[in-house]
Amino acid sequence: RIMPVRWSRYNPSYLEPEVKKESYQKPLEELTEEEREQMELKAVRPIKAAPPTLSSSAFSDPMISKFTNMMMKNGNKVLARSLMSQTLETIKRKQLEKYHKAPENEKETIECNPYVIFHQALKNCQPIIGLSNITRGGKTYQVPVPLTDNRKRFLAMKWLITECRENKHRRTMMPEKLSQELLLAFNNEGPVIKRKHVLHKMAEANRAYAHFRWW
Amino acid sequence: QLDHGRALHTAARGGLSSVSPQDVPAERPRAAFHTSESDPAKHTEQHEARLYNIPLEEVKAVFPHGLPHRFQQQIQTFNEARVMVRKPALELLACLKGSNFAHPAVRYVIYGERGTGKTMTLCHVVHYCSRQGWLVLHVPDAHLWVKNCKELLQSSYNKDRLDQPLQASVWLKNFKTSNERFLQEIKTQKKYMWGKRESTEEGRPLGEVVEQGLARARSASDAVGVVLRELKQQSHRGSFRLLVAVDGVNALWGRTTLRKEDKSPVSLEELTLVHNLRKMVMNDWSGGAIVTTLSQTGSLFKPSSAYTPQELLGKEGFDALDPFVPIPVPNYSPREFESCYGYYLERKWLQHEKAHTEDGKAELQFLSGSNPRQLDRLAGPL
Repeated sequence: RIMPVRWSRYNPSYLEPEVKKESYQKPLEELTEEEREQMELKAVRPIKAAPPTLSSSAFSDPMISKFTNMMMKNGNKVLARSLMSQTLETIKRKQLEKYHKAPENEKETIECNPYVIFHQALKNCQPIIGLSNITRGGKTYQVPVPLTDNRKRFLAMKWLITECRENKHRRTMMPEKLSQELLLAFNNEGPVIKRKHVLHKMAEANRAYAHFRWW
Repeated sequence: QLDHGRALHTAARGGLSSVSPQDVPAERPRAAFHTSESDPAKHTEQHEARLYNIPLEEVKAVFPHGLPHRFQQQIQTFNEARVMVRKPALELLACLKGSNFAHPAVRYVIYGERGTGKTMTLCHVVHYCSRQGWLVLHVPDAHLWVKNCKELLQSSYNKDRLDQPLQASVWLKNFKTSNERFLQEIKTQKKYMWGKRESTEEGRPLGEVVEQGLARARSASDAVGVVLRELKQQSHRGSFRLLVAVDGVNALWGRTTLRKEDKSPVSLEELTLVHNLRKMVMNDWSGGAIVTTLSQTGSLFKPSSAYTPQELLGKEGFDALDPFVPIPVPNYSPREFESCYGYYLERKWLQHEKAHTEDGKAELQFLSGSNPRQLDRLAGPL
């Protein structure tokens, strides 16, 4: 029997499972027309099985889960998740120490929430335009090409992780290095932002080949 | 007892004592879990589930070693040391206050599941005793003396035994920091020879023995033995009270992972430090108390679900410690959980937006099972 790996083999009539607690606690009167239709549809249609990464916890974040999955090696999710939580804790500690030492007027500018820092850093690292290899007449050209949201997010996370894995001292732990990189990216500094700028410059330099793109 | 809520975190820490005592002001309900009573002698049931502050200078003087690692990190991040007053600690303090020091020393064994606060209870008691002026003999973790030892020297005093210079010198250094003034007052009662040429005469202050142990690493373990012996013999006179605080006492009656050079295993009777500490924990001296903690986390060859004294001490240890007062330490009660959660919120440790809601709080309580260590680890990344 062939187990489906990349493309789902579910019948199109199957619906996605609803995990958020708030949607089940709303009383009937507050629902809009579409939501009432959705509820009636759910009564008759079958529902897909929830994947193990989907959680109804108030503290779960899909970006963080995606990042943890990308950090995982050989399926060791326990280790990846503990590294992620240690990173968030390190960021929080560093920011809190800075916060308590700062004078009164600067206290509002210091961001202590590790999730806000993480999201902002990833946003700052996302490239706007990418390059793709197109072969014309035997030669391969680097053509500037627009990127989808998913691809941008993936590139930002990939760059962060490769940067942290390669450019560090043998004895530095991953949480420490990652927290350092995230804080730099939050302030628009650091090697990952530089890599993004290098990509933008290459795309700008190869503007002439933009017409090679046919999609 | 006048308890007034602690000032907001932006106020100076030292300004607490200058605030005049008032009833709890109604406009500050969130500071109800703090108490300004920083002397453990005055803690009563009224202060239960509240956090009291230890000034940082006192922390450095009283606890050169002995605080858990995560608590030390918390002190550094929040810039203050806040310890929760809990029932087991209050019971222990009441027992200590009412004990008769002419009788032999009473032994207290603090036990409980993993992460429920046994070491913190011990630290609370140590703080109380050092405030009262007792001499505190604090062994931060007896398991460190029976595993991962790089150097084992053959003892010069007794051919069969083995010395541990590194552990002994580290302990002597911390002992010196915490008990400076006693080292000048207490005098030795016998002449001790350190090797062929050096000796300490009778009647010299104990500080010299400690200096000798620190200067010559080879005789550090013997110096520790001498210190313990002198303190035990002189405590019944009443000039000072002695508190022996040992964390992880189940390490003294178990097995070691150490090996001699010919790869034969070392038994516990062959280690000088363990031998001397065992004699100290016996109740054949008077004029003080012995407070110990069981610990499964550092223990060797014990299953992870073991937490009762019978399981962790084994038959030998239980018989040796036999008439002892057991003090169980449970997980957080609902009030204590509220207090801890409120403290984290106030210190801005819980940064996640959902953590401030009722749902988030219920989730934290469920996931941690009101276990202090789990709550601390869960609240870390949030």
